[in-house]
Amino acid sequence: MVDSQAMLDKVWFILPEIWLVIGAMVVSMMGLSGTRLVRDAVPVVVCCFLAVAMAGIAWVYGDADRLAGIDLLMPQLGPYVKMILCAIGIVLAMLSVGLIDRPLEDSLKSGRARFDPIRTSRGEFFAFFLLSLVGAMLVCNANDLIWLFLALELTSLPTYIMVAISRPSVKAQEAAVKYFFLGALAAAMFLYGFALLYGSTGTVVLTEMRDAFAEQAAGDGLNRLAIVGMILAVLGVSFKIVAVPMHFYAADVYEGAASPVTAFLAFVPKTAGIVAIILLLGTVGWSGHGAPGAGGLPQPILVTLWMISVLTMTLGNVGALLQRSAKRLLAYSSIAHSGYLLIGVIAGPGMGINAVLFYLLAYGVMNTAAFAVLSGLQRQGEEIESLDDLAGLRHRYPVMAVVMAVAALSLLGFPPLLGFWGKFSLLIAGIEAHRMPLVVIALVNSAISAWYYLRLVGLPILAMPTPASESITHRPVPWARVAAVIAALGLVALPLFVNELLP
Amino acid sequence: MHLAEVNLELYIPIGMLVVMAVLFVTANMVLTHLMGPRTLGANKDVPYESGMNPIGSARKRFNVRFYILAMTFLVFDVEIIFLYPWAVTFAKLEPRSPEATLFLARIMFFIATSIVAYVYAWRKGVFRWD
Repeated sequence: MVDSQAMLDKVWFILPEIWLVIGAMVVSMMGLSGTRLVRDAVPVVVCCFLAVAMAGIAWVYGDADRLAGIDLLMPQLGPYVKMILCAIGIVLAMLSVGLIDRPLEDSLKSGRARFDPIRTSRGEFFAFFLLSLVGAMLVCNANDLIWLFLALELTSLPTYIMVAISRPSVKAQEAAVKYFFLGALAAAMFLYGFALLYGSTGTVVLTEMRDAFAEQAAGDGLNRLAIVGMILAVLGVSFKIVAVPMHFYAADVYEGAASPVTAFLAFVPKTAGIVAIILLLGTVGWSGHGAPGAGGLPQPILVTLWMISVLTMTLGNVGALLQRSAKRLLAYSSIAHSGYLLIGVIAGPGMGINAVLFYLLAYGVMNTAAFAVLSGLQRQGEEIESLDDLAGLRHRYPVMAVVMAVAALSLLGFPPLLGFWGKFSLLIAGIEAHRMPLVVIALVNSAISAWYYLRLVGLPILAMPTPASESITHRPVPWARVAAVIAALGLVALPLFVNELLP
Repeated sequence: MHLAEVNLELYIPIGMLVVMAVLFVTANMVLTHLMGPRTLGANKDVPYESGMNPIGSARKRFNVRFYILAMTFLVFDVEIIFLYPWAVTFAKLEPRSPEATLFLARIMFFIATSIVAYVYAWRKGVFRWD
């Protein structure tokens, strides 16, 4: 019969997620309301639900007795990752205010059209927004492979639709289709990996799998099937974190989606993917197994991760050098940052994982700041994409120019901004784990990235406005610009609390 | 195993079900034959009466509403599939125990999501067939 206490505990720790699912249902209905005020209130309601969820996370994880009894591989991941997901989720929701249905709402306002529920998609957009966040939060609570798979898919499936409805353009639909098919391919890949992991251990429960692997390692080494399965699973999940070799979609999809959705894509699925990789590697364990002398992850898995990390950061940074579009540039930058994150994953529990979690927070804030600038500006209702559009932004929108500069400097890892502390802790973790070559490659990559990040600093601040950039105006809704300022303030102010923020 | 050892009483419900099924079908056929009006014609003899024309190209365009309606049907189909195992397990739980309450709360939440889906589809105009 069922163990009722364990089941109650399981539900207890996903109460914030259940709350957000209720939120998704509420906003999907609100979006269909005939009253303009109710439709406009949707993002506000989303932010309220997320704020209450943050309080809920603090509350459910405050229960020390239950936390001690919880049967998770890494229970310490939960509160931190969920908190940053919700907090940055609030800022991302602010970015998306007024994004969906803009032409429709305009024609409704001027009385040229009558409200018809079938033509709106604002409620759905924010419902999917919340559901995707819920998926990423549920990944932290995964204690078996089936849960992990479902949570990862719950993170990704809504994002495909969010990309498609983010703006009324063929580009967005093309991006969504590419994203969907490649996402399905990746899902098939890591599902295959999960099947092999199950085949080699006879269990899908992560904690039992860890014991099975420990037993195998104590005998004559890990099962070959297990190693193949683990590599396949990690490669499949690397789609979510846009790591090489599953990074091909990034530039096209990030460019095709509207900027607020791109900011979402660069943070939420990446967080879910990194947590999933940490959980998967946690079953093998970072120490005690593997080839003699290595004393860490099994050699083939370690080599794979090492190669993914190096290729990801190098390809990301070199690719970004060639871009003329700000969104494509930030897409390649997103690839590069996944490479940095993997250094912490290789370094392992303790400093490494803490550095990864802290870096996720830092990356979330700075990435959101950069995309918030792009979301807050427009040219005749169209997105601004080209780097040249940012030239001389200081003369017309000084605050936005400063935010862009701060975000780019932080992405570069310029002290004393938040990004510096993130990268610093990752590199320290790498050195502590004796991964010097990896750290050196990361440093060289940082130097390469300076070239294009400094362009993002120089163009808005130092360059003279061009005729093209003169035609830039701001969006009628101020919230994206407010979010940009909040995120930039975070980049400047949060380093003061580094000690508190480190998990 | 000898026939004598098999507890044939266990098969009584199945036997009753078979008998009922046969009776239901024959009764319906006989009753329609006796009571139904008879109209003959070209349309009466086509394989899918009142349905689509089976002759000609199969590559025709359907109204997209068919698909939307089919998806709405799926919502309830999936719900039924979940309700059966739930009901079987729920009957075995001790009344008013914490796990029974949890089970009830779970299925109520699940049904609530389906109701929201239904209301949503209704408001979107899925059932409106202009």
